[in-house]
Parts: sequence; C-alpha cells; structure tokens
Amino acid sequence: MRLALYVTCLVDLIRPSVGMASLRLLEAAGCEVIVPESQTCCGQPAWSAGNRPLAAELAKKAISELEGYDYVVIPSGSCTDQVRNIYPQLLADDPVWAPRAQQLAARTFELTTFLADVLRVELPLADFAGSVTYHDSCKGLRGLGIKRQPRELLLKVRGLTLDEMADCEECCGFGGAFSVKFGDISTQIVDRKCESIAKVGADAVVGGDLGCLINIEGRLRRRGDETTRVLHIAEVLAGEES
Amino acid sequence: MAGAKHSQAMFFQARAGEKIRNKVLQKALQKAKPLFVGKRAKAMAALPEDGFEFEALRSACVDIRNRVLGDLDVWLELFEEKAKATGAEVLWARDGDEICDLVIDVARRHGVTKATKSKSMLSEEAHLNEALAAAGIRPVETDLGEYIIQLAGETPSHIIAPAVHKTIEEVEALFAEEHGRPLETRTSADIPAMTREAREVLRQHFLSADMGITGANFLIAETGSAALVTNEGNGRMVTTLPRVHVVVTGIEKIVPTLDDFATLMRLLPRSATGQTISNYVSLLTGTKQPGDSDGPEKTVFILVDNGRANLLGSAYQEMLRCIRCGACMNHCPVYFSLGGHAYGWVYPGPMGSVLTPLYTGIENALDLPHASTGCNQCGTVCPVRIPLPGLMHRLREEQVERGLRPLGESFALKAWAWLAGKPRLYRWVVRRASRYLNWLADDSGRIRILGMAPGWTAGRDLSVPAGKTFHEQYAARKRA
Ligand code: SF4
Repeated sequence: MRLALYVTCLVDLIRPSVGMASLRLLEAAGCEVIVPESQTCCGQPAWSAGNRPLAAELAKKAISELEGYDYVVIPSGSCTDQVRNIYPQLLADDPVWAPRAQQLAARTFELTTFLADVLRVELPLADFAGSVTYHDSCKGLRGLGIKRQPRELLLKVRGLTLDEMADCEECCGFGGAFSVKFGDISTQIVDRKCESIAKVGADAVVGGDLGCLINIEGRLRRRGDETTRVLHIAEVLAGEES
Repeated sequence: MAGAKHSQAMFFQARAGEKIRNKVLQKALQKAKPLFVGKRAKAMAALPEDGFEFEALRSACVDIRNRVLGDLDVWLELFEEKAKATGAEVLWARDGDEICDLVIDVARRHGVTKATKSKSMLSEEAHLNEALAAAGIRPVETDLGEYIIQLAGETPSHIIAPAVHKTIEEVEALFAEEHGRPLETRTSADIPAMTREAREVLRQHFLSADMGITGANFLIAETGSAALVTNEGNGRMVTTLPRVHVVVTGIEKIVPTLDDFATLMRLLPRSATGQTISNYVSLLTGTKQPGDSDGPEKTVFILVDNGRANLLGSAYQEMLRCIRCGACMNHCPVYFSLGGHAYGWVYPGPMGSVLTPLYTGIENALDLPHASTGCNQCGTVCPVRIPLPGLMHRLREEQVERGLRPLGESFALKAWAWLAGKPRLYRWVVRRASRYLNWLADDSGRIRILGMAPGWTAGRDLSVPAGKTFHEQYAARKRA
C-alpha cells in the first residue's frame, strides 16, 4: 500500500517530531510512505479568511500532488477537514476539478482514523508511563466524527491511563487566525481549558491537532504550569524519538 | 436600513476587550453557561424516552421552516386573511421607523398613555421604547429580565435571558435604589423575595396600562393566531388585561398549521432552557367576544420586514429558519467570554454574527463574522440546523469580494499563497523562519513576544524546537 503523508505547515515549522512520529507509525504498520516533496499549504488560512480564489488555487495544487496514492494521511483533523469537506465544496462548479477533489477527499484520512478504522492492524506502540487526558479538537470532532479512534489507540499504549477532563469537547480558543485577531478572547477561552486540565491533573494533554496543542501549551506555560506535558497523539503512539 | 444608524457592531474589538476585563461580568457569565448547557443536554438525552428521536424531530422542524420560506408570501396572505376574520387588524412595516410610527399611531387612536410590554426583540430592532417615550407614552417592560435592564437603562444581552450579564448583587442594588428601599433590609440573593418585590411594582402597571405590546414566537397561518412562549405569567397579563394588544413580529415567524407549531414546540423549549415545555404557552386569537371574560378589544398585528425579505432566495436564506431559541449563544465559547453587549446590536452570539451584518449592512459589522473559532458547537445544537459557521464564512467571502478587508490582510494572504505555490522557495523560507524562531527563543526554548502575532503572545508562550524543520529531517533521513 502506497500512501502519501501530508505534513501540515505547523508541524513542519513548529513541531517536526509529529511528522517524524507519524512516519514511523505508518511504516511500522507496513505502509510504503511517501512525503510528496512539493507539498506546502492546504490553503486553509486563505479559505477561512474568505478568500475563495486563493484557497481554490492551493486546493488544485494539493490535489495534483496528492492524487495517485492509495491513501493520503494527515496528522491533523483540521487540515483533513479542509481536504475532505472543503475541497469538494470549493471546486464543486469546476467540471474538471470537482471529480478530482471528490476522489482525493474519499482517499484522505486523519491519522488516528486511518490507523483505527482503515488499517486496523496491531501496531507496535511505544510505552508511556503516566496519565493523559484527551482534548477533542473541533474540526476533527464535529467535521470528521473523530472521537473513539484516538481513545481506542491510546488505551492500547502500555503504561498509559486515560483520565477524561470535564468539557473535553469544548473549543480551546485557537481557531487559526481567530487567536491572532482576537488574542484576548482566545486567552479567556483557553484559560477555561487550562482549568479543566489542571482539575483532572493528568501528566499530559494529548490531541490530534497541533494548532490546539500549541495554543494550550502556550497558555499553560504562561500560567506557570511547567510540568503538564502537551503531546500530539502521534508522539505518544510512536514514542517521541527512536 | 433603520437599524444601521444605531448599530455599535463596528466597535466589537474594543468592546470585547472591555468585557473581558470586567470581572463582575465574567463572574455572571461563568455561572450561567454550565446551567444552559447542562439543562439542554439533559432534555435532549431524555428525548428518546419521551418517544422522540432528536435528529428526526430536527428534520421535521427544518422541513416546516423551509416550507414556509419557500412560499412566504402565500402563508403571510393566509395569515392576514385568517387574522382579519377573527377581528384583528394587520399592518405591515418595512423597517424600525415604520414600526415606531405604527405603534404610536395605534396608541394615539386609542388614547393610550402607558403600554406594558412582554419581551419582543423586534421592538429592540426598532428602538421602540425610546420612540414611545418621546411620544409621551410610557413603556413598561414586564418580563423580569427585561424589567431589570429597563431599570438599568441597558439593552438585552441575550435573547432569552436578557439580564444574564448581571449578577444577583447588581440586581439587588438596582432594586433597592429603584424601589426606594434601603439596601440593608434584605440579605442579597434572596431571589424569591426580589421577584415578589418586582411583581408588586409590576402589578400596578398591569392594571393601569391601556395597551399591551408583545412579540410572537410564532404566527400560525391556519388560525391567524400569535403564539407566545414564556416562563413568566407576564405574557398573559400583557395580552389579556389592556384594551389594546399589539403584536410586533418578523414576517419569517409564520408557521402553516397548529400541528407544525406543536412540532416546533417539542424542540424550542428544550433547546432554550432544557424544559420539556415552557411554563406558559399562549395561543392568542382575535379579540374579546361577547361572553368572554377577558382579552383585548382591539388586536393589531404589525408584520415587519426590516431586512428579512432580502434574505429570501439569497445565500443566507437558511438564517430565516431561526426560531430564536438561544442555543447557539448558550454553547458559544466566544459569547460566554463576552456577553451579548460586545456584539453591538440586538442579536448576539453566532446568530447575531450572521444577522447583524445582514440586517444592518455588511460594512457596518466587519468583525462579527470573524469573531468565531469555527468550532461549530452552534451548528451542532441549532434545532433547525442552521449552518451558522458556513453562513459566517459566506459573509467573510462577501467582505473579500467587496474589498472590505484591510489591505494588510489581503496582502499577507496573497503573499502566503504565492509562496506556497513555489515549493522550493517555500522550503527555503520555512527553514529561515525556523532558525529565526529559534534565535528569538529564550533558554527554555520559548518565545514570549512574537512581533508577527503580538495578540497571541500577549497571553501565551510559543515553544519552538531546537532542531530542523520536518522536511529537512525527512530529506536527511532519505539520504541516509
Ligand atoms: S440560530 Fe438556531 S440555535 Fe441560534 S437561536 Fe436561531 S434557532 Fe436557536
């Protein structure tokens, strides 16, 4: 099985270990993983700002470089949502691109969904000593129905206990450009998340979207929490470095 | 449009900052949110036990609302015909000013000097209270929440809980002052005693008012009736005691039949307050007939457009399905960080972020469609499946199409898209950016101030990696 790993711009720049962990996981599962060299940005920033032409341009670029694989896997619910739900909508009126967008959408999966629902093989998972709490990111949860999959995978990790926090489905206040444009509102929202995390007292917060995780980690640290680790689920499943 | 001149929606950013720093407000909001969310969740969880399936009910409600919007003129004509047959008068208003003129005219014709009011958002759209007062007619709000904010000289901050932004202590102080009672005579937070006190004051008004003004949750075409859904008895007092009853409502509030109304009622109170049914549901039809013990001698319906007809057949038509349950704001993390006043006009929260630009002009509320994290909690709870984030997104697109976004923003997006179209250059720039972030970071690998995103780092530290970008690491691994 040949699959393309699409590494989001945030992972590339801010937390490359998430990409490397995803790569190791997929290879350990027996997939032939290719990282298409020309990949850049899925176009979500342009889309969410309301700039349809720019978003469409980048969607076409991504479609061209990602079609032709058995699957495309993305370690991010929000970028997966962009490919699966937005590309077909964005290019719906284009007779050439609409079918291509639909085909790509059908073959594109968020990492945990791919591992738990598509591959369904027993993975050699890393150990993890400690308790984690899982933050459900909005786009993955409400756009793609990701809820059971990450938990199923986490529970297979030896040594790990899962403690659910209150309001685990509540938004962390990131929202891409929202947290930059409306920094103080976003801070107010992420503060509530931090309080839920503090209350459950887990060793680590785990999630499937780097944007949310950077936001949560940034606020935890600024509030003076130096100990709660903030990890992408790929990092937990694959171990942080091998 | 009439609302535009009163809209403060352009000042969203500034107001938001002010609301976030207001500790008293934050306390009130933090208390209210879990109540709303918890009650709705419980009511929805109990639906299957009551023999209903949520998604099926939702679909039925969507169908009813779509059916009405598909042939709005037909249903309105039918309503007018039926209402007139019951002895009511039906008037039409294009905008807020016309609402005021019509209500004042009705008041003058019937020699009215005081009007009791039950909650009506349209009278907020029209600033009816100010207009009435200017015409020498005293408006008295009788919904407890509305009464409180009328005393405080404020506007509602929530469509079903207008005073949700106030703490009990604030209300207690307000009552003590307004009702002329020394503050120490009652311990604060004795809510039943406060309610009794308000009720005593309001009773005098109920008995002396000549006119009652209400909104309507629905208009029923089949019978020409107005349906009022409330939790306080004031709605009945306002509609049955005074000689004249004026109903001010939007043209989209119509439903075809009583059956349809019953279907919508299965979701409206559950979505709003988590109740199976509200304390009072009144169906008001026509005027007092010989032999009736109460009811108005004169009933007037004022059916208002104020921007609604424009949405028919547009990309925003779905917004007209709204049944004003408030669930979207009750579940919105942004709303509950700010309260409703930050939104600057009558309708707050996600529905307001769509309605305010549409009713007062897109150029008058540029921030509102962006004041959303896109979490889609609102769309998930909306009983009539309004795709609120999708509509906000459409508004963002329209801003871009009309050149209403700041130049800096458009330029940054274009530059980014251009760069993303050149993979080799993109790779080089990301590498440089990675080194730059690294250089900015302190010993613990954190950036405390980032010039590019000052708002973000005002409240957060950005942790950056010491190593190379993913694509560098991947290339090195391939070579090895
Ligand atoms: S948009 Fe939906 S959830 Fe919000 S008030 Fe209207 S009907 Fe209720």
